[in-house]
Amino acid sequence: MAIGSVQSQLESYLSLTMQRQTVLASNMANVDTPGYKTKDIDFQSEMARALAAPDGSTSEASPHAVTGLMERPDGNNVDIDRESVLMAETQLQYQLGTQLLKGNFHTLLAAINGGS
Amino acid sequence: MGLFTALDISASALAAERQRSEIASSNLANVDTTRSSSGSGPYRRKEVVLQTAGTSFSSLLGASGSSGSSSAAVPVGGVELTRVVEDTSAAIRRYEPGHPDADKDGYVSYPSINPAQEMVDLMGSVRSYQLNATAVNASKQMIQQSIDLLKS
Repeated sequence: MAIGSVQSQLESYLSLTMQRQTVLASNMANVDTPGYKTKDIDFQSEMARALAAPDGSTSEASPHAVTGLMERPDGNNVDIDRESVLMAETQLQYQLGTQLLKGNFHTLLAAINGGS
Repeated sequence: MGLFTALDISASALAAERQRSEIASSNLANVDTTRSSSGSGPYRRKEVVLQTAGTSFSSLLGASGSSGSSSAAVPVGGVELTRVVEDTSAAIRRYEPGHPDADKDGYVSYPSINPAQEMVDLMGSVRSYQLNATAVNASKQMIQQSIDLLKS
């Protein structure tokens, strides 16, 4: 597998993680908005879609409403604990992505320098 | 759309929660105010109305943050304090004939503010502020990691 292919896959991964972070930030921002419903991105299917798409094409994931959360009397169903845990998870996923990309660049550099 | 959008969204929540706590503080400060700024009657309890910016579902990630019906400052998916409404509930009347604002029967109208309710509201907004400040830090660290890709 070419090294560029891995890089573009990692790019899709980082892009999707970033979009999820935005959705989670939006959920947290609307923690006091009456009637607001929690949104999330289906990471697995969106990642599969991003990998199937041709190289270089960037697609925006579509967030969907999360079901099964307890609704407050004002119609809001944001669960702070859920959002906090997911945000920590997303942060670590992003870190994983950047570290892998970094390792990838190092591999490329080693090849350029002839392994020396 | 990028990580800076996440920062902007969290920032919109910080601004809204700050204004909410300001309003709650204002209500607490004016718990005994018998003259409103408009000149008629006692101070009226104020309440904020929060609304999601760019409420259309598909526009949450579809728009790049600059377009949409919301104002330019608040990105789609953020929160907006759209207006401050006045509580229209009846004033509390206390018999104080010597008070300069007493009516002809000797009753003074005081705003119907429950300090406990305002304190709970204040605590709620402070906690929400902290939550969003944490989210800002999370997004900031992610941006920092992207920048760290440049130095190796």
